[in-house]
Amino acid sequence: MMENIQATLNRDPAVQAAKPIKMKSRNVTVHYGAKQALNGISLDIPEHQVTALIGPSGCGKSTYLRCLNRMNDTIDAAKVAGEILLDGQDVYDPDIDVVELRARVGMVFQKPNPFPKSIYENVVYGPKIHGLAHSKQDLDEVVQTSLRKAGLWNEVKDRLDEPGTGLSGGQQQRLCIARAIAVSPEVILMDEPCSALDPIATATVEELIDELRENYTIVIVTHSMQQAARVSQLTAMFHLGDLAESGPTEKMFSNPDDKRTQDYITGRFG
Amino acid sequence: MSTFTIILIVLAIGLVGAYLGYQRSRSQMAPEGMRPHSRPIYHASFVASWAIIPSLLLLAAWLVVSPIVIAADVRGSFPEGVLAESQLTEDLAYGIVESLGTGLQVLPADERQTVTDTTPVKDLIDLLRQRGVPVASASTDWMVPMALHLNAMQFWSRLAMTAVVIALALGGAYWGYRQIAVRLRARNIVESVVKGALIAASSIAVLTTVGIVFSMLFETVDFFSRISAAEFFFGTTWEPRFSNVGSTGNAGSFGFIPLLAGTLYIGFVAMLIAVPIGLFAAIYMAEYASNRTRSFVKPLLEVLAGIPTIVYGFFALVTVGPFLRDLSAQVSGLLTGDYASFIQAQSVLTAGLVMAIMLIPFVSSLSDDIITSVPGSLRDGSLGLGATRSETVKRVILPAALPGIVSAILLTASRAIGETMIVVLAAGVAANLTLNPLEPMTTITVKIVAQLTGDLEFDTPQTLVAFALGMTLFVITLCLNIYALYIVRKYKEQYE
Repeated sequence: MMENIQATLNRDPAVQAAKPIKMKSRNVTVHYGAKQALNGISLDIPEHQVTALIGPSGCGKSTYLRCLNRMNDTIDAAKVAGEILLDGQDVYDPDIDVVELRARVGMVFQKPNPFPKSIYENVVYGPKIHGLAHSKQDLDEVVQTSLRKAGLWNEVKDRLDEPGTGLSGGQQQRLCIARAIAVSPEVILMDEPCSALDPIATATVEELIDELRENYTIVIVTHSMQQAARVSQLTAMFHLGDLAESGPTEKMFSNPDDKRTQDYITGRFG
Repeated sequence: MSTFTIILIVLAIGLVGAYLGYQRSRSQMAPEGMRPHSRPIYHASFVASWAIIPSLLLLAAWLVVSPIVIAADVRGSFPEGVLAESQLTEDLAYGIVESLGTGLQVLPADERQTVTDTTPVKDLIDLLRQRGVPVASASTDWMVPMALHLNAMQFWSRLAMTAVVIALALGGAYWGYRQIAVRLRARNIVESVVKGALIAASSIAVLTTVGIVFSMLFETVDFFSRISAAEFFFGTTWEPRFSNVGSTGNAGSFGFIPLLAGTLYIGFVAMLIAVPIGLFAAIYMAEYASNRTRSFVKPLLEVLAGIPTIVYGFFALVTVGPFLRDLSAQVSGLLTGDYASFIQAQSVLTAGLVMAIMLIPFVSSLSDDIITSVPGSLRDGSLGLGATRSETVKRVILPAALPGIVSAILLTASRAIGETMIVVLAAGVAANLTLNPLEPMTTITVKIVAQLTGDLEFDTPQTLVAFALGMTLFVITLCLNIYALYIVRKYKEQYE
């Protein structure tokens, strides 16, 4: 867990620019069979920042996100080339254990996908698998801290035994975030986490993402440019498998260098 | 006119009606500029429905009712002496009258005309014999006019039926045709006809089941009036013996326990082997195999499910059984120096083993469908948390798929319990009561076949017991299926 000083520093825009790089990708290409989905993406993801990936549908932003914790491994036809470094280490290195990687780089999906188990069991799923907790007290504590961080504790503390699937959509998504936090990842990847939620639930989750930045590095794919503007410090614009432009969010939305970014954020396509 | 011809004529009327209705509907639509409620095709179906459905329903009703009415009429005019006798004698007499009637229809027209109400039955029988029609010797003279009367009634009934049914079809078609109008809601009407047809189809399935149960029920009740239920359900000796014709007194022992034990034991051994293997195969196919492997292995396994069980029986009889026997002989020889096999060629183990081979594709194919229907998002969620594939399967996929898998297993269990051919060939027909899986045992289904094979007399407990066994088996599988449904429902509530 990170120190408070760090958290305070994070709020200072001048410090943000000088963040150390958590994940670095160089010339990443992805093929689905014969079709090329990503053409040489090079992007730096700074620590304790929210990096938003925006762009029209089918531009490759989700594909890129799924490269970061090798979720593309589960798709037979996907072939990834290039270099992705986590703290300087190539995640596609044969020495890297993919299971360990995913424990460090967690993921929250587009559609809330709580397991058909109780709320409690959902949260302790990861810690149990990775042997992070050794006693019932440890587990209880993990459940409480994770749910607190996800802003869900007060809503569910009296019904931890009830199935996670019985929660509302927004609560389910926050449960999934709590589930991801419970394994103490360093990076959390979010694939359009609010696209299945109503505006109120979206606002809650966005607020949560902003708070999580203190402790985690976050990469979020979003369709909504307003959302990118609200939650992120850095934005990367994808277009047809290319990285059109990346930079501080404020600059991207006020004064983009790339014509495609300008067209997209002014609503000319996408 | 044969029933088939009548149906063809009705269908033809329906088709013609549909065509005319289509034309009429088209011609009505064009001029007024008023939007018709239904498209012409619905008007056509509407006319066809009116032509076909009422007339075919009438046809079916007529075919069912007319023999009953005719029989009642003919029996009513039987001589007093016959009516005074038992129901059985009357049935017998009516049977002879019926066969005389059928025989008369075989005769050429000129010979048939020589037969009148006063013809002695002996002459008629001679005539029929020349044509190769055998008639029971218990015939008497009064039966000839009865047979003639019967034939006449059947003839007129059929004639009337043909006329009425075709008239109804024509009338229906005309009525439907007249109804066609721009605002006629033909679409809604046709839709409800379709719905009615679907309901009829499903009720046939349900009613058939009910019918099967009842057909077994009466015989079962009959059986229990001869043999006490306690003796059947709690008896430990199965030795029904075959009855001698006419002597209903020498009942054997009808203890059902050895058969139930054999059924459950063989089924248990089979499930013990088939469930883990089938389930693991399903997990491999659903979670680990590449699409290519899967597209190759799954059909192969399903082919295995299509092999007739008698073939598995052969396999047990000529390969597995002798192999186990010889193997046990070798093992015993090595250990004790005495080459006596301790596994018999026909045994519970052999039957269970071979039945398991038969069941594996069922378990794996059903479970595979269920596992693949678990949403991929759950799989991603678990993998995204750093779980391995096997952890994902064990902790997320299988629990989510559990209700489906349990019902698949229970479905397979009903099959195991109902299996006959494998058991006959692999475990034999001896109704032993033993706990040793290396000895032969037999099952309920095998004994049902045994009791119903050969010359049958449906008034001895030896035969009737088959129905009691069948009924018991039905109840057992019914309970299994209800339990499966209960489990599925319980889990569904929990997870939805």
